[in-house]
Amino acid sequence: MLARAAGDFYWMGRYFERAEHSARLLDHHLARLVDRPVDVLAHGWRILYAALGQPPPISPTETGNAEAFLVPDAFALAAHLIEDTENRDSIIQSWAKARENAKQLRPWLPVRVWTCLNDGFLWLRNCNFTEYWGQGPNRLPAGVVDRLRHLSGVIETRMSRDHAWRFFELGRFVERLQLQTALLQAWSCPSSKKSQTWAGLLHVCAAYEAYCRTYSMMIQSEQALAFLIANPEIPYSLSFSTRSVQFLLAGIDPAGGRHPRRAPHRHALRLAAAIETNLQASVDDADTQDFLEDFAEGCRTLHNLIIEEYIHYSLEQGLPS
Amino acid sequence: MFHGDGTLRPAAQQLGTAFNNATSELLMQLHDGVRRQFLHEGITFTVIGKKEVTEQIIPIDCVPRVLTDSEWDHIDQGLRQRLHALNLFLKDIYHEGWSLRDGIVPHELVLGCPQYRMEMLDTKVPHDTYVSVCGTDIVRTHDGFSVLEDNLRVPSGVSYMLACRAAIKQAMPRLYRAHNVREVLPYPGQLYSQLASLATWTQRPRIAVLTPGRYSSAYYEHAFLAGEMGAELVEGRDMVVHNGLVYMRTVSGLKRVDVIYRRVNDEFLDPVTFRSDSLLGVPGLFHAYRMGNVIIANAPGTGVADDKALYAYVPKLIRYFLSEEPILSNVETYLCRTTEGLTYTLENLDRLVVKEVGGSGGYGMLVGPHASAKEKRDFSKRLRSDPANFISQPTLALSRAPCFVGGKIVPRHVDVRPFVLRGRKETWVAPGGLCRVALRQGSLVVNSSQGGGCKDLWIINENERSA
Repeated sequence: MLARAAGDFYWMGRYFERAEHSARLLDHHLARLVDRPVDVLAHGWRILYAALGQPPPISPTETGNAEAFLVPDAFALAAHLIEDTENRDSIIQSWAKARENAKQLRPWLPVRVWTCLNDGFLWLRNCNFTEYWGQGPNRLPAGVVDRLRHLSGVIETRMSRDHAWRFFELGRFVERLQLQTALLQAWSCPSSKKSQTWAGLLHVCAAYEAYCRTYSMMIQSEQALAFLIANPEIPYSLSFSTRSVQFLLAGIDPAGGRHPRRAPHRHALRLAAAIETNLQASVDDADTQDFLEDFAEGCRTLHNLIIEEYIHYSLEQGLPS
Repeated sequence: MFHGDGTLRPAAQQLGTAFNNATSELLMQLHDGVRRQFLHEGITFTVIGKKEVTEQIIPIDCVPRVLTDSEWDHIDQGLRQRLHALNLFLKDIYHEGWSLRDGIVPHELVLGCPQYRMEMLDTKVPHDTYVSVCGTDIVRTHDGFSVLEDNLRVPSGVSYMLACRAAIKQAMPRLYRAHNVREVLPYPGQLYSQLASLATWTQRPRIAVLTPGRYSSAYYEHAFLAGEMGAELVEGRDMVVHNGLVYMRTVSGLKRVDVIYRRVNDEFLDPVTFRSDSLLGVPGLFHAYRMGNVIIANAPGTGVADDKALYAYVPKLIRYFLSEEPILSNVETYLCRTTEGLTYTLENLDRLVVKEVGGSGGYGMLVGPHASAKEKRDFSKRLRSDPANFISQPTLALSRAPCFVGGKIVPRHVDVRPFVLRGRKETWVAPGGLCRVALRQGSLVVNSSQGGGCKDLWIINENERSA
């Protein structure tokens, strides 16, 4: 497969995941507008922005803690994260970038995948945010999540499991690793623990029911955090994403995942080993924060290795032997 | 669809009646459905403005144009003849140059043409196929079908032809089926076979479509054709030349490319040979081409044969190279490079269409009957200062076809661009073409960048329909 096209698939997957992640977090947070105290919500916005790695355009509730300012703040912040074209990481921008990548991939993309992606983008671009907000603050992000999951289903059923699909999925899981690590960092930092419910985090990560079945509905923060890091059966856990990356890289690697493995594959194995080691070590707040920080750095390295190995390699490296 | 007196032609009887009987709501529904399909599938062209780049869907009209198969067979034969002669002419001017020595075409017209490539002199072109893909613009007047211009460099529009057909088939399946329309959908398969046939050194050539990138106005088409052919869609930066062979960067290392269907103009193909500031091409590509290690279709330097001034000589070239009379006539053309041509053009500016010899896309032209006095004055100055850069033609009474515009059926001027493919041995003419329509009332300019749109063209059996 053409290296540039592989790169486009990879980035398309990353933007797709980024849009889905932001929409999922917003859906959760905006649904809480109904019944949470103002200070909890304001703190929630800070965590949300920290998890997305973005500075908030306004400081929530700076205007005072009065109830009257809550909704305008939330409206402005949600609009900034969803439909603001000036915000390069807003959902509309992520979707637009995924679509731009997809436009360059028309020869490789099944028509239905393209039309689904394109329709979704046109729908979001033409959405009247204020009107949706009137129906319920989380209506639009929930709609975005639904559309993206529909697209995910179309990709699942229409794309053959070739390099195009592998690079797309690789992009998704590398992005998911980075975003989930940032989310866990933001959620578990000492200042956040008081105001954020761990049930909320488990809900955001589609892991609440699984956690309750495994442990109990009396959620303990350390246990929940370990669950979201190391449980290989939870789609949004770090372990699941790392395993997925390994599987995908084994498919891309000409040696098929056997020795000698390519650099990105070796690095993914190291990340998996780091999760195992962390699980066995005694866990306290400081340890977990250190682990997540190292893991985030490891994810950035993984991204760089993928780009260097498969997309922007040197001429000498690529010549047929 | 109609005779000159307004009566329905027998071949279009059923179609015409169906549209006559349709309510305006039904027509609007049909129109919206076809348009929505274009929007959802992202069938667009890019318009590059001064400040921003916008993406527009090409306007599509839902009323098909109808031609009979006997009319089409005439066009088909004419196009084959024309492409054969032009390929022989291109070989001749880059080798022996008999047509120049024998005075069939003036030396200065060929050697002074900006599209003439000295680098192609004595270059062996595989199977002498200079032009593999040709799009010829044909108009219908009271005198029958005439060629308006040949496009031999990177003719575009074929994807819109195919997309129109797909949309119309879906919108009016019963009418389509009832008419037994000739099928254009085999085009990508034919293109693949014709290109593959040129690379004789391998059984399974690797074909790449070379695009300038996503900001190209025809990017949708490049992606579409690559996808349909199962070819790679590459940009210059995806390829390298090493030891005279062309490679593309894949995730598994460099892989050799055998055929390049280029959608990049000559001057940008190779910064070593042509424009040194080109970022779209591949350094060393022309060297690999001269060594015979890669096919470039169409060959560099073919643009000299679609220059609007040379167009006037095509009938003579057909007679010279093939010893045959041209099947398709040319539109009368006055070369402003000659004193008589310039004088005639300046004296009759009100009645003529004046075009730049290297212009395209409907730009750089003056439609005399529709131009203001100031426009004509300005154009006269340009004509006098550089007469060799212009030709003029009479304003044609182009045929009109019914179109759905503004909620009703109205007549609009149309032309058609059929596509002809040439491989190692065979020539294939797509049984249909891109029917372009000037959607503005009274306009003769059909280019999409100038308010034009497209419609489907149905080639149907006249006898079968009238029986």
